Amino acid sequence: MPEPVSKVRLCLLGYVALSTYATGSSAISVEASDVRRAASALIESVERSQALFGEKASAISQLRALAIECNQENWDAYGATLIDPRAISNAEAIVRALPIGVPLPEFAPEPDGSVSLDWIQSRTRLFSLSVGRSQRLAYAWLDGTDRGHAVATFDGSTIPPRVIDGILAIVKNGHAPIGTF
Amino acid sequence: MATLPSGLSDSVSDQEDLARFLTQSSQFTATLVKPAAFLPSPKDRETSVSRHGSEPREELWTIGLPAAGARTLHAAAIFKAQVVRAAQLEVAADEPPPRHAVIRGWPWDDDDPKLQKAKQVELAAVIASQADLLRR
Repeated sequence: MPEPVSKVRLCLLGYVALSTYATGSSAISVEASDVRRAASALIESVERSQALFGEKASAISQLRALAIECNQENWDAYGATLIDPRAISNAEAIVRALPIGVPLPEFAPEPDGSVSLDWIQSRTRLFSLSVGRSQRLAYAWLDGTDRGHAVATFDGSTIPPRVIDGILAIVKNGHAPIGTF
Repeated sequence: MATLPSGLSDSVSDQEDLARFLTQSSQFTATLVKPAAFLPSPKDRETSVSRHGSEPREELWTIGLPAAGARTLHAAAIFKAQVVRAAQLEVAADEPPPRHAVIRGWPWDDDDPKLQKAKQVELAAVIASQADLLRR
C-alpha cells in the first residue's frame, strides 16, 4: 500500500523544486526567464514571511511567558491583579496584525491585568499601548517635550492607522501627527 | 511638621528619592524602567513607593526584600518626588509600613475607563522618563 503523502511534504517538495528553478541558470527563452523571475519573487516572499513569522512567534512566546509569570494575584507585591487571558489573546492578535515595517514591541504587565506593548527609543521617546480584555486600546506617547494620549478600537485584525502612525512617529525619526483627544 | 515612626518627616520633600520595587524582569529594559511599572493599583487607585533618603542605595534592598516576599526582587526604579508632582500627581507619606508613601491623584473616570487608562499611561511614562533603574 503506498504511503500517504502529507501536505507538508508536498509543500516542501514544491519549495525545493521552486528554489532549484529560481536559482538555476539554464533557462534560455524569454518565457523561461519570466518564470524564473516569478519563482524568485515567490521564494523571496515566502522567506520574508517565514522570517517575520519567526519574530512574531518569538514575541508571542514572550507574551505567554509573561502571562505565566503574572498568573497570580499580587504578582508585583503591590496588589496587582493577575494578567487577564483575554488581554493576552488581544495582544497576540495585535502582534499578528502588525504590518511589515513596524518593529515588534516589548511587553510589560500592568497592575489591572492588562498588558503593555511598548516601543521604546529612549527615556523621552516612547509609545505605550495598553491592551486589556476589551478591544478598545488606550495608548500614550512621549516624544521629547511633546506628549499625549488617546483611545482607539482594534477590530481583531487591523490595527487602527493612527496607532500605527503613532508608533512609526516614535520609531522613525519623523514627527508624524498622532490623533489626540 | 510631625515625625513618623520611621523617623522621617510626615511631609515628603520634593528632593526625596522614592523607590518602586520591580518583581518582574519585564518591567524594565536594559537601562530604563517601563511606564507600566508606575501605574496605580486598581484596588486603592494609588502607586505604592518607599521613601529613600540619603542612605546608600544598597540599603534599599533591606526594605525591598521583605516587601517582595517570595517573589524575585529584580530591581528598583528611583525617582524624585518632584517628578511626580511635576506630572500633577501627589506624593504623601503613608506609614505603616515604615518609609511607605503613595502616589495618588491619578486620573479616574468610571464612565470611560479606557480614556482614564490612556491618561494614566501618559503620566506613568512621564515618571518613567525621569526614573533611574537600579538593578540588584
